[in-house]
Amino acid sequence: MASHAPQAGEGPRWEVFKQDALGKPHQAVGSVHAGDAEHALLMARSVYTRRPAAVSLWVAPAEAVFAVTAEQLADDDRWSVEDGGQERRFLVFRKTSHRRSMTFVDHVGEVTAAGPRAAVAAARQAFPEPPALAWWVVPADRLSASPDAEAEAWFDPAGDKTYKQQSAYGLLAPKKRDRSKGGDR
Amino acid sequence: MSDANRLDAKLQSALVARLTAMADDELILGHRDSEWTGHAPLLEEDIALANIAQDEIGHALLWLDARSELDGSDPDELAFFRDVGAFRNVRMVELPKGDWAFTMLRQYLFDAYETELLGRLRTSSYRPLAEAAAKAAKEEVFHLRHSALWIERLALGTDESRNRLTRALQRIWPYILQLWQPLPGDAALQRAGIAPDPAELEEAVMGRVSAALAAAGLEPPTDAIPHPGGRDRHGEALVSLLIDMQSVARADPGVEAW
Repeated sequence: MASHAPQAGEGPRWEVFKQDALGKPHQAVGSVHAGDAEHALLMARSVYTRRPAAVSLWVAPAEAVFAVTAEQLADDDRWSVEDGGQERRFLVFRKTSHRRSMTFVDHVGEVTAAGPRAAVAAARQAFPEPPALAWWVVPADRLSASPDAEAEAWFDPAGDKTYKQQSAYGLLAPKKRDRSKGGDR
Repeated sequence: MSDANRLDAKLQSALVARLTAMADDELILGHRDSEWTGHAPLLEEDIALANIAQDEIGHALLWLDARSELDGSDPDELAFFRDVGAFRNVRMVELPKGDWAFTMLRQYLFDAYETELLGRLRTSSYRPLAEAAAKAAKEEVFHLRHSALWIERLALGTDESRNRLTRALQRIWPYILQLWQPLPGDAALQRAGIAPDPAELEEAVMGRVSAALAAAGLEPPTDAIPHPGGRDRHGEALVSLLIDMQSVARADPGVEAW
């Protein structure tokens, strides 16, 4: 695999947030490696939306995501030390359930704060319910979105690709059995 | 009366030839792209290019289904049981996959051509063609974004990436004219509003490509000697590609599902 790899390696890691339908929150679905934000969005489209429904993608450099768990908040108050610096916008994501198999960290809103720690503190005040198991905050200016004008081209085609669905291959064995029995199908 | 029945025999056979050429371009390019599966320089690109390969093969099926409406041919039979002499793809798509720069440049040039072609076919007077083009055009927006991104990144990246892209451009340029070389029946299709004017298509594609290359600080080679011959001439590369692509189907010709 490495023989064609550029010297620069696989590039930085980007967190990917996928929105399944309008009105639903963007959810953290995983990460991709890419050289820049535009490339990260294209890779996210290929890796995370081939089969599942999607209407929008966001990416942010993994190093720009500040993450803290409820346990960390309870055990150690150093996280809450004021960062200092300019007030800026942060997007807030939180995980509120262990129920589903994937680690969904959902977009919940936005706060203005001087740094990521202050943003978490503001988020706890602004979004108290339901209790969060984990918080992610991302500076708004580090986030890149798939182009809304091209949403149809990015996300619609996956919907009609029957051959990409696992279930599309389910009937092959029975057909072959019928044939070996000389069945008339 | 079906759309197919409204065409006279001459237009029907001209359209069969045009659809076959379009399908073969997509099928062979899709297969070449699929050769990167498991070998792409990045895991994410491996998935992305496999996805694009499937899309291109899906487009081939759109055109072969449209052909089937006209002459009752079987798309699987055409894809997997035709011999090399019956394929009508351009030489550009059959060339061995080469390095990543060559693959991305070929994909970019074909995406630019396909984007302009589909844009024109969407207003075709032959409705099944217009509908299939509208479907394929959606995916093409994304394909073009992906390959254009790589042209820019490779051209403006390192000396190595730029050299590789320049070499790819020299290798592929002699073949590009074949993309809009008219087939014997194309003039009749154009008069009937079924297919676009090749000269106008060439101008649109070359305008798009020259602008993208210029933005990346590259120029099309001026000393390229155009490859002579039409879509019925192929190289050894297509022979070995077909042996690989058709081997499973030919191993058990009577199989009903696979």
